[in-house]
Amino acid sequence: MNPAVVEQLRKIAGRDAVLDRPEDLMLYEYDAGIRKSTPGAVVFPQTTNQVSQIMRLASSAQVPVVARGAGTGLSGGAISREGGIVVAFSRMNRILEIDVENQRAVVQPGVVNLQLSEHVSHLGLYFAPDPSSQKACTIGGNVAENSGGPHTLMYGVTVNHVTGVEVVMPSGEVVHFGGKAAESYGYDMTGFFVGSEGTIGITTAITVKLLRKPEKVATLLAIFETVDDAGQTVSAITAAGITPAALEMLDGWTLRTIEAYCHAGYPLDAGAVLLIELDGLRESVEEHAEAVQAVCLQQKAREVRRAKTEEERALLWKGRKTAFGALGRVSPSYYTQDGVVPRSKIPATLAHIGEVSKKYDLIIGNIFHAGDGNLHPLILFDIRFPDQLERALAASKDILEYCIAVGGSITGEHGVGMEKRDLMPVLFTQEDLDVMAGLRNAFNSENLLNPDKLLPTPRMCREIFGAARNPVLVQEGM
Amino acid sequence: MSTATTTRFGAELRAICGAANVVDDPALLRGRQVLGVVPSTVVTPASADEAAAVLRVANENGLSVVPAGGFTAQNMGRKPAQVDVLLSTSRLRELEHYDAADLTIGVGAGWTVADLAAKVAADNLFFPGDPALPERATVGGLLATGFCGPHRQGYGGLRDYCIGIRFVTGDGHKAKGGGRVVKNVAGYDMMKLLIGSYGTLGVITSASFKLFPAPRQTRTFIAEFPGAAEAFQFRNQVLRSPLDPICLELVSPGARQLLHGFGSDGPWLVLLRAAGSDPVLARYRAELGSAVARELEGINEREAWRALSNFSHTVEERCPQSLLLSLQLPLREVGPILQQLATVSASLKHAVIGRFGAGHLLVALWQPSGSTVQAKAFADAIAGLRHRLPIDASIAVLSCPPEVRADIAWIATPTHVESMRVVKKVLDPNDTLNHGRFLF
Ligand SMILES: Cc1cc2nc3c(=O)[nH]c(=O)nc-3n(C[C@H](O)[C@H](O)[C@H](O)COP(=O)(O)OP(=O)(O)OC[C@H]3O[C@@H](n4cnc5c(N)ncnc54)[C@H](O)[C@@H]3O)c2cc1C
Ligand SMILES: Cc1cc2nc3c(=O)[nH]c(=O)nc-3n(C[C@H](O)[C@H](O)[C@H](O)COP(=O)(O)OP(=O)(O)OC[C@H]3O[C@@H](n4cnc5c(N)ncnc54)[C@H](O)[C@@H]3O)c2cc1C
Repeated sequence: MNPAVVEQLRKIAGRDAVLDRPEDLMLYEYDAGIRKSTPGAVVFPQTTNQVSQIMRLASSAQVPVVARGAGTGLSGGAISREGGIVVAFSRMNRILEIDVENQRAVVQPGVVNLQLSEHVSHLGLYFAPDPSSQKACTIGGNVAENSGGPHTLMYGVTVNHVTGVEVVMPSGEVVHFGGKAAESYGYDMTGFFVGSEGTIGITTAITVKLLRKPEKVATLLAIFETVDDAGQTVSAITAAGITPAALEMLDGWTLRTIEAYCHAGYPLDAGAVLLIELDGLRESVEEHAEAVQAVCLQQKAREVRRAKTEEERALLWKGRKTAFGALGRVSPSYYTQDGVVPRSKIPATLAHIGEVSKKYDLIIGNIFHAGDGNLHPLILFDIRFPDQLERALAASKDILEYCIAVGGSITGEHGVGMEKRDLMPVLFTQEDLDVMAGLRNAFNSENLLNPDKLLPTPRMCREIFGAARNPVLVQEGM
Repeated sequence: MSTATTTRFGAELRAICGAANVVDDPALLRGRQVLGVVPSTVVTPASADEAAAVLRVANENGLSVVPAGGFTAQNMGRKPAQVDVLLSTSRLRELEHYDAADLTIGVGAGWTVADLAAKVAADNLFFPGDPALPERATVGGLLATGFCGPHRQGYGGLRDYCIGIRFVTGDGHKAKGGGRVVKNVAGYDMMKLLIGSYGTLGVITSASFKLFPAPRQTRTFIAEFPGAAEAFQFRNQVLRSPLDPICLELVSPGARQLLHGFGSDGPWLVLLRAAGSDPVLARYRAELGSAVARELEGINEREAWRALSNFSHTVEERCPQSLLLSLQLPLREVGPILQQLATVSASLKHAVIGRFGAGHLLVALWQPSGSTVQAKAFADAIAGLRHRLPIDASIAVLSCPPEVRADIAWIATPTHVESMRVVKKVLDPNDTLNHGRFLF
């Protein structure tokens, strides 16, 4: 990178707040997806004003910029253009305000998701979006990706919990959208900004809702002989008029792999399990727990267990949440997909994934947010064999095209990023994409802010199609 | 553009939509006035393609277009200089998708809210949108006005349960956002931009929604309070409790006088609607304790909520010279604003209802009977309110007496206006849609 630009960055953010040595930059080459590209510099701003100055500098020097939270993204969102500037938010990680009366918190983007909930726990409050990566990922990253998590089935994804943002626009101007009110008149710029994958502006302060912790929680593990039975049960539960707080599915292969790794108490001989959580008023939780149990048994569940203590509950969730670490032990690399299907199509889609696995001769595990039909097929491969990577990519494309064909989407929560943008034309018409590109270009006119993400580009991408995400990194991320 | 000029394009519009669906006989148009302005043409396209073609003709020829659904909320905004084309959505009646097992539905913008609700109710499902006059209000109008009714408390707003949208931009491009599944982050969230855009960014042609299981039984608990402060305190007690009501509505003494069936005289009311089994309702009873004066169920309960949903319409009907404001507030500000209403509108009468547990209030202000409309009293009241609101509260004026219309700011918002203008410029570059009526 041009040393003069690096020097300017140091002037803006401080001598110790800029990295530009190759060995340091290597750590910022990748996120948790499968691509990589080396930035020219990494800067760690501490104030909104510094972010604004960095944007102005990038614009005058014509250097691409990308924001970065914890780098746990799975779609290449935080990966820089080769030689670009990474604006990393690990030093803007303060909780600025807890406003109990308004049920809001104002946070800097680098605050780690779980830390916010821990911080307000003593008040009986929490932040509802709970990505499985919540011990590591940042709220800035959650906002950019509109992240979900197991409990977003009942409580909604990030956009349903963000009421205001402070944004530094590509011009360097600092603007505000929304505030502490649940909704605001005028165009809903806040809602538009959430999920824009860091292509419209960089957020430097976020106003989020804090929810009251439920008075009662029931956690069930329903055990099935076949994946199909478990899949049918998902629709049957909804048909019974019950919306669980969370409804997760793990197939047999995945739960055996997890069990070997963390001993969550999952049955080793099952075809699939559903991990179901109900929460709310004591009386309704009890009723719903019984009703869910009855539906599961009716749908040929072999057994339904209910966590009797908080420890048992934590153990069941530990299995779910350490899944990625467990997989890292059995496969050098894996590719996580994020397709969505209408929930009634889950059984057919899982059957299709089984065929894809055979066709491409790759193991594919399934562990996903079944209640919203948000699949996460994990395609195992070995990066050292290029043909395996190629097959993994082909298998992934096959699965996502199937999701689209049954009325679904290519991404439920991980974002389009770099890795799915070429599938966007399957989901959207050219006219649809032109309208979106019109908005992107109007705000990000030089396309310097997170270029070439989210929307397909006619231009060839320069990014190196690099080594797979390092499983050890993910393990730490958990 | 004069009527004659518009008529020049009549042939083009007829070629697109069919002669029967383009009306430009002045005698037939008088009933379709927008704030007193008679449109030159009413065009009723049958599909998104036709709507797009209509907008291309309008856009290329500088015609102004006003989208219209059920015509229940056309009293908002500045008087348009002219309306060349009133684009009616009444033929956009397609059922795009519906599978009860998936709890999703997608319908044309011309569906009435009542038809949509009835369709899904047959499968024991529930659509939470609860506007005034649901038999007339359309899905497109509901989204365009970003309306907020009593169910806001328990089910969230349209931004929370609209999962996909199709629309035509001001310059005639068909576009969409989202899709048919409940979770989806592919592409920009166009739903958010179109919801609450008052028909200034695009003509919504269809939309998909998340549905909810219909509650098996509900009960409404009514509490009475001598003043707003006590009602506000009760609200805070409910919000801090484990209770999770589907509605939590405030009704002021003035509102009781306007609404049917609320006893024309009496103190402040709070209506709390709960859904659940007998044990769940018993729990509500226990938690709410002696604050509850009586309970409603069955037909009485439904009537009461219908009346509350219809509040904006009732105000327009019974006090045609009133100013109707909609306020979105941070939760803490609700109490202080209620207490200040009397001071800011000293010479006016007022009525307030709202889902005050979600920070939304509807405020009606009118002059005591007999007196002539004094624009200054209304302008002062709005200015007084705005002055007392924190910067992150927002206001929309839903309707007002014609005398006051000219000097009213229709919307006050904490959101950066220049960024909104950028969006408007992209989606409606030539100001074809609802020109000059709202923000821009
Ligand atoms: C093991 C594992 C489990 C996961 N589970 C889930 C899950 O359950 N649900 C889910 O939704 N996701 C999940 N993810 C994906 C990922 O954790 C989320 O997308 C998360 O929100 C990313 O946050 P981050 O801080 O790591 O962001 P990064 O990866 O650093 O960045 C992601 C995007 O956000 C942008 N960004 C970051 N900060 C800002 C800012 N201040 N302003 C503007 N843009 C910004 C970046 O430019 C980039 O485009 C998982 C990932 C892993 C590795
Ligand atoms: C700003 C506003 C807020 C309101 N808030 C509430 C509320 O909180 N609670 C309540 O009970 N009632 C509210 N109402 C009143 C009304 O009950 C609803 O808005 C109703 O859903 C309007 O539907 P309609 O089909 O009658 O629309 P119309 O009256 O025909 O149109 C209303 C507005 O929407 C635009 N529009 C209509 N259809 C489309 C379309 N397909 N695409 C693009 N634009 C379109 C029109 O141009 C016009 O600006 C509000 C009205 C307004 C104007």
